[in-house]
Amino acid sequence: MTNPNSWLNRYVNTLPERGWFNFLSRYVVVPYWIWKEPRPKLPGGPRPSPQPSESVQRMMNLIMPLKDPSPAGRARATMAIAQNVDEIFAGLDNVGTVHFARFLLIDDNICMISVYDGDFSNYIRDFITTIGSVFDDVVSLVEGGEALLPTEHNVEKFIDWVHDHDLFQAPDFPTDLFGLQDAAKGLAPNKPPHMLESLPRDLILQLHANRNISLGGGYRAYPGVSAAQVRRKFGQGW
Amino acid sequence: MTKAFDPQEIQGNILRGYRRNLVRHLILEVTNAGVARRFLGLSVAGDSPDVPAITPDKTWPTKPEFCFNIGITFEGLRALRVPSRHLETFPTEFMQGMTKRAIKIGDFGESAPEHWPAPFDQPERVHIIASIHADAEGPLDRAQAQVERAFTTLGVRNGRNLPEGRVFFGYVDGISQPRFNHIDDPSQKDVDEPIDPLGTALLGYPTRQEGVTFRVPSPRDLGFNGSFNAFRILAQDAAGFETYLNDAATELMTHPDVNQLADPHRLERIGEGLDMHGALREVVAAQMCGRWRNGVPYELSPDAQYPEERVSLTNFDYSHRSRCPVGAHMRRGNPRGGPIVQRIANYTRRLVRRGMSYGPDFDPKNPDSQERGLLGNFIGANLGAQFEAVMCDWINLGLQDPRITSSNDPLLGANTPQTSWFDMSLPSGGTIRLRGFPRLITSRGGAYTFLPSIAAIKHLSELND
Repeated sequence: MTNPNSWLNRYVNTLPERGWFNFLSRYVVVPYWIWKEPRPKLPGGPRPSPQPSESVQRMMNLIMPLKDPSPAGRARATMAIAQNVDEIFAGLDNVGTVHFARFLLIDDNICMISVYDGDFSNYIRDFITTIGSVFDDVVSLVEGGEALLPTEHNVEKFIDWVHDHDLFQAPDFPTDLFGLQDAAKGLAPNKPPHMLESLPRDLILQLHANRNISLGGGYRAYPGVSAAQVRRKFGQGW
Repeated sequence: MTKAFDPQEIQGNILRGYRRNLVRHLILEVTNAGVARRFLGLSVAGDSPDVPAITPDKTWPTKPEFCFNIGITFEGLRALRVPSRHLETFPTEFMQGMTKRAIKIGDFGESAPEHWPAPFDQPERVHIIASIHADAEGPLDRAQAQVERAFTTLGVRNGRNLPEGRVFFGYVDGISQPRFNHIDDPSQKDVDEPIDPLGTALLGYPTRQEGVTFRVPSPRDLGFNGSFNAFRILAQDAAGFETYLNDAATELMTHPDVNQLADPHRLERIGEGLDMHGALREVVAAQMCGRWRNGVPYELSPDAQYPEERVSLTNFDYSHRSRCPVGAHMRRGNPRGGPIVQRIANYTRRLVRRGMSYGPDFDPKNPDSQERGLLGNFIGANLGAQFEAVMCDWINLGLQDPRITSSNDPLLGANTPQTSWFDMSLPSGGTIRLRGFPRLITSRGGAYTFLPSIAAIKHLSELND
């Protein structure tokens, strides 16, 4: 019935490139949506899964805003890691379920990026149990950190805090976003089902609530294998 | 910290078991907060003829007619009008409740909360689980009638002890428990497992993890000396279990190493009158659990259910040379001092387990598929650090040892026949892999509850709207 080459269709297809349209969506339409239908911030970290292969090699992207993001403050954060790095790594060794971990300074944040096996809370709890007193030096430099000190006495609070500062991991199947948004609002996922056309809008609104996200779950060269299994295979002791 | 611990300040079902024949769990909704609080006040005062008295932890001169205890869900605390500034001080997993933690604790597939029957299909209405223990029905009925005057009863679950302390899979259960210095429990006299600090089960005390303390919810009267409970209704597929033992034994009969599992000339050590097939069934059952069905630990007696010399039921440890399979149910749930990946976690995830069976008797010779199972209480100071930690990384997934990682507990795990496996251990150090067993235990309901101290029940009874 409609001709795909009609004047109107050709014009609509060029809208994303037109300045007036971009201005309108950026300053009017999107802010209106955000006001009208805000999306709750989605929780960080990998989601629990019944699949054993998805329960090992899970990614943590912990973004911790620095209290003092000036070069001097950033230098203090650098020192806090440098002075404690041996103990932190020894602690990760004792946790036993960690594949890799590293610290980054990005803009005003100190970040801990790691790959671990199993449950997030167990990882963080065991980590704090082993080296909480050392890690406190890092936490004390971070916004909101003072409420968590000493972390050994605030284990539950610290776990919740880390969970909150771990990046939301966008689902590998884009449409799974609908169900996660429903769950965050306390609704049954996908009941009723969502219109596929609303996915771009939902994504835009979510990126307002979760400014930084992890794009998908990430790549694994040898999926389904735990850190201890790798160590055992290579005779490293576990 | 504060004055010395007095067991009479906590409810009696936490640090030791009652050893009564029957239990009745009443699943209650608070529909009138004032009436409910008045009930709690009279119950904790313990001198009303019309309200069953809360049973504290104390040694009785004579057994009371019944024991009465309560656990309260997060929704229940809210319904009793605990102010939100205090509600916020409870741990996240308790606030969310058991159904929101389903995937973590293995409640998916058939066990998913969507399939739970009433009243657990409406978790937001489950406010209080009141448990009455007695030796006869009469006292249970009388206490129930009194409770029902103050609350709306959403459901009732009746449990009982099976003969010889067994469960429907035929095992003697409840042998190994955490033990505490402060409690004089004659049944634990000769146990040599390490003493557990009070913080394992109660809020406000040091824990096994050096330096770590769990947050005591506010105000202190409400939180201190409290405990958390994962109440679970676990259906046991007794017929499926016996069928699987048959299948596994049949398969093992043709295995070249079968004589390592059972010496064909000494089958009487495994069970009187058993042939090789019958003995292999028992060996599979023993390795899957870590105990023979009569309770004898496989670690101490790998060749005989009836060893010539008596062995301890409780005093042993695991090592790299253990005969007890790494994946055995009991070893997964409590790896004791044995080698585990999470090096600092030995003994830190201990749970108090109290359970009674529900459903009709099961006769392995005439198997039927009626629902039967266990009404289980898994008690500790922190649900996340104990119950959930054990369920998600040890019972399922098997992270504690690379040899079992990505397999689930053979008895309690979230198994499917297509993917399940279990490595039986051989004296030579080798293994035989069993496959194809179904999920044998399915969740049919449950709730995370807070077990308030005596002072906390008083505190709750004095709240206002």
